[in-house]
Amino acid sequence: MRIVVTGMGVVSPIGIGVDQFWDAAVKGVSGIRRIQSFDASRQRSQIAGEVIGFDPTSFLSAKQVEQTDRFTQLALLAASLALEDAGSLESYAPQRMAVSLGSGMGGFATFESSAARKLQNKSMPPFTVPRIMANSAAAWIATKYGLKGVNLTSSTACSSGGNAIGMGLDLLRTGKADAVIAGGAEACVLPLTMSGFEALFALSTHFNNDPEHASRPFAKDRDGFVIGEGAGILILEKEEEAMRRGAKIYAYLAGYGCACDATHIVAPEVEGQVSAMKAAIQDAGMQPEKVDYINAHATSTPLGDIVETKAIKELFGEHAQEIAISATKSLIGHTIGASAAIGSIATVMTLHSGTIHPTINFAEADPECDLSYTPNQAIQKKVQTAMCNAFGFGGNNVSIVFTTL
Amino acid sequence: MDKTDIEAKVIQFIASKVENVDVSKITTASQFGELGLDSMDTVQLLFDAEEEFGVSFDGDEVKNLRSVGDIINYINNHPPSMPA
Repeated sequence: MRIVVTGMGVVSPIGIGVDQFWDAAVKGVSGIRRIQSFDASRQRSQIAGEVIGFDPTSFLSAKQVEQTDRFTQLALLAASLALEDAGSLESYAPQRMAVSLGSGMGGFATFESSAARKLQNKSMPPFTVPRIMANSAAAWIATKYGLKGVNLTSSTACSSGGNAIGMGLDLLRTGKADAVIAGGAEACVLPLTMSGFEALFALSTHFNNDPEHASRPFAKDRDGFVIGEGAGILILEKEEEAMRRGAKIYAYLAGYGCACDATHIVAPEVEGQVSAMKAAIQDAGMQPEKVDYINAHATSTPLGDIVETKAIKELFGEHAQEIAISATKSLIGHTIGASAAIGSIATVMTLHSGTIHPTINFAEADPECDLSYTPNQAIQKKVQTAMCNAFGFGGNNVSIVFTTL
Repeated sequence: MDKTDIEAKVIQFIASKVENVDVSKITTASQFGELGLDSMDTVQLLFDAEEEFGVSFDGDEVKNLRSVGDIINYINNHPPSMPA
């Protein structure tokens, strides 16, 4: 049984909808700006990839807006775009339609605002808990579209969206669902969350006056990741059923691998990343030499990009030099639990369009990052098998393989 | 603010919060259920009213607030210490 991607929806700092997103990605447009959603003058990192021009009242009632956190609102818009793209799914029984979503922080905008009220002894908004809970977005998608099957939420930090897509693949393969709405959503461009990352010295702080150049994976002078927000949703189905209903097929979702470093709560490790990539390729029933593109996790942290480079070299050997790599985070920042979902959409678009979007801000390579990262300019290349990496705090490593073969 | 003012303001406020209800149908006697609010909607409405009118509904008394008039009476009997 083969699983296919038949619809995609994205809400990102460089565009809403796959067309707008992909056009900007190929052009190498940066979505990083000084933070607009709150006064960030007291943050060490004052920049982010925010979704601009997003108006939840354009597709939700006032009551629904009041009952949902921003991460759910982003997810709902991405889901509606993906479902529209996929066309009619009416042939599936509602009980056979699943949702598998990832979010690292869940409704943290609500957490931060309600916590501030509590500390000031103000009354508590009654939807505080249902807005915060990590499965809120998945539940709202199910409710809005009447999807009565399995409803899962994966919260594995920066790899959440990857696990969610992988779990979607498993649900289809094991016969627990006929269609899965899979992806990730995150909206944590927020003072408390950012301060937490700042305390770990994880965020970029040297580009507050030059935000567009801050996210620079694999480049010599990178100084941390830039936080971002967004949502990405993919519609997954079994190939036979998708063909029967005449759906447009973007690519096969062929393999999913995960592994835990089991060594450190935040520091990445080569071995775990190698294991995850290897497991995904094995799961796809392929040889590593088949992989011709990697959408890297590449957050633009000094350590992370080196570790990922080493892991790719260790697994692929000489073939590593032939693989085209690019970093979507150079364009939109790190959207945490949405990053692997948005990265997967970029990966599928690479297969679909034959264009690899660039890793922007690649001025001078870090000597320890010596692979082909598609610097600054998009390239045309027929890609048939591509991998999307997602590595998260907790030592969680996820790789997903998409193919057209 | 006298009671007539409170009444007008509360009714106007509820009309702004409740979906699909004709303002002219909202009276002091209107029960929240009659306005189409379920229990969670009611809790949200009371929270919004606290914000709007600068009052704080007591945890036990809140259970007795079932109608538009109940909110009006509560605000009338518990004038806010600070301007809303």
